[in-house]
Amino acid sequence: MRATPLQTALLYAAVILTSAILVFPIYWLVITALSQPDQLRQLPPSFWPSEPRWGVFKKIFEERPILLWLGNSALAAIGAVTISMVVSVLAGYSLSRFRVRGGQSLGLFILTAKMLPATLLVIPLFGIFRTVGLIGSMWSIILAHATLIIPFTTWMLKGYFDTIPRELEQAAMVDGCSPLGALFRVILPVSAPGLAATALYGFVLSWSDYAYARTFLTNAQQNWTANLGITTMKGEYVSNWSDISAASILIALPVLLIYLFLERYLVGGLTAGSDK
Amino acid sequence: MASISIQNVRKSYGALEILKGFNLDVADGEFVVFVGPSGCGKSTMLKILAGLEPATSGMVKIGDRDVTDLAPGDRDIAMVFQNYALYPHLTVAQNMGFGLKMRGTPREQIAVRVAEAAKTLDVSHLLDRRPKQLSGGQRQRVALGRAIVREPQAFLMDEPLSNLDAKLRVTMRAEIAALHQRLGVTTIYVTHDQIEAMTMANRIVIMNNGLVQQIADPDTMFRKPANLFVAGFIGSPGMNFLRTSRHADGRFAVLGEMLALKVPESVDDVIVGLRPEHIEPGKGGLTFEIRPTLVEGLGSESYVYFDVPEVNHLAAAGGATDDGRPPGRIVARLMNAGPVRVGETLTVSVDPDRLHLFDPATGQAIPKEADRSW
Ligand SMILES: Nc1ncnc2c1ncn2[C@@H]1O[C@H](COP(=O)(O)OP(=O)(O)O)[C@@H](O)[C@H]1O
Ligand SMILES: [Mg+2]
Repeated sequence: MRATPLQTALLYAAVILTSAILVFPIYWLVITALSQPDQLRQLPPSFWPSEPRWGVFKKIFEERPILLWLGNSALAAIGAVTISMVVSVLAGYSLSRFRVRGGQSLGLFILTAKMLPATLLVIPLFGIFRTVGLIGSMWSIILAHATLIIPFTTWMLKGYFDTIPRELEQAAMVDGCSPLGALFRVILPVSAPGLAATALYGFVLSWSDYAYARTFLTNAQQNWTANLGITTMKGEYVSNWSDISAASILIALPVLLIYLFLERYLVGGLTAGSDK
Repeated sequence: MASISIQNVRKSYGALEILKGFNLDVADGEFVVFVGPSGCGKSTMLKILAGLEPATSGMVKIGDRDVTDLAPGDRDIAMVFQNYALYPHLTVAQNMGFGLKMRGTPREQIAVRVAEAAKTLDVSHLLDRRPKQLSGGQRQRVALGRAIVREPQAFLMDEPLSNLDAKLRVTMRAEIAALHQRLGVTTIYVTHDQIEAMTMANRIVIMNNGLVQQIADPDTMFRKPANLFVAGFIGSPGMNFLRTSRHADGRFAVLGEMLALKVPESVDDVIVGLRPEHIEPGKGGLTFEIRPTLVEGLGSESYVYFDVPEVNHLAAAGGATDDGRPPGRIVARLMNAGPVRVGETLTVSVDPDRLHLFDPATGQAIPKEADRSW
């Protein structure tokens, strides 16, 4: 059935409206960063600053160790995602393929774990990390973020593996692979889009954390993650919203870049063509 | 190449017994077809042969080796799957060479053997493509190529043609048969399609509910079905079944005539099997008149449906067939019968020697005099 011109028009209108709603906060963030502080409370608001303050980015780089913070965030995210992927590839694959006694309840247990709010776990985790002496170390948030990420990525990957026909690894095993060989030589390459999407999701979870970083990292600012650093720019009496917005843009940028880089994997359906 | 021996293999999933004791010896170079309705355990048996599923009990031998506990990769067999299971991230050439690579074959040698197999299957021009750039028929050829390139002891094929359209299926059927002639590799082929079984097999294994019903060559399978299930499964349209009982004079009423059926004295109830193609126009051994209720003309032949006398209705006989026909309605496959019209009486006949006789209690065939051992 072909859409009538009216239907097409309505469809486009809906898409544009949705996009506008989604893009607006980002647009507002950008103009907040670029506006002079006194323009921010204008009524009616201005939708483009008369003299954009491009220097704001340079200014925050000079005033704050932004690069260091971004580096710390990246370290935490990469560490947490690496650990999470190793664990959840194996866990997700097992949940998808092997019928073990109690396997289902175990799967459900993991599912409930992801429904617990992160803040609920802050206190017990703090206790554990203090006992093993990790408070203040980067490892504390790497591990804490991994506990946050693994339930999600395990279930995402299980779902992805479920869509891959079993015959694919059976063929690999007849061709001479061990079960693990079939996983690494066939299933994982075929799952590249699922792995990319899952890793990105985990990265964002770690990247956007505040509570864990705030609790486990020390007061020395060279240890802070970007999210933690940015909140210190909000003073008790004065907050420079332009600077905070500019820093927020810098923090959002890496995720955006990773997304653009991974896009072709995220969208591509590599399994198409394995069967039928 | 090697013989295959399956000895008393059983398979259960929990309390559910899927294979209830499977025995078969396949000779070196033989083409054996497993056929039976969906869910009867054909794929399960094939997976046990491949090592993809463990047997609950029993033994599998390939050649002289007991492979029951070997990993699939150590059994030296190749498998072709219904959905082809090509590796989507590899090119056609890499797909075909994967098994050789896993066995540490030198790269140059892989290239030579892949090229050779590709030529055999006419896919040489596709070697650099990926599976999703191929048509269904091409994927099927690549899947076959992946199997032959390894030169294994045996091929296992699980419904390899059922995803193809009808026309391609017939072409590929002939091609697989020709490939088997040329390579002579022992092959076990699974299908639910009795026509594939009849046209391709050296020997057919008919299965139902996890039990082997009969093992025989196609001709024997057609002429001497061991039981009601086999009789109804092989042939198209399937065999007609009529119920009849012994009268006081020792004879049986069949299609309005009283026949002296050659059955043991002890047998009083009989199911008579009658192949549609054995009903001929005109007078003959057992002549009767029919009044067609439906006629399907196919040009050279016509399928003529008609109702048999009430006493011959199968309904009470334990439901041996269920192809959706009303009880008592049977079909004749008439060649060159001239015009046949619904409702117009027609004289047809059957050679009584061609009737099949079954024991309704057991479903087993009652052997003809010549085959009887008592
Ligand atoms: N992993 C399994 N767990 C439980 N039952 C199974 C499993 N695999 C197959 N079965 C059952 O075994 C029976 C035979 O299956 P299968 O061998 O695939 O039949 P066929 O290939 O003849 O159609 C079916 O009833 C199926 O539901
Ligand atoms: Mg099957």
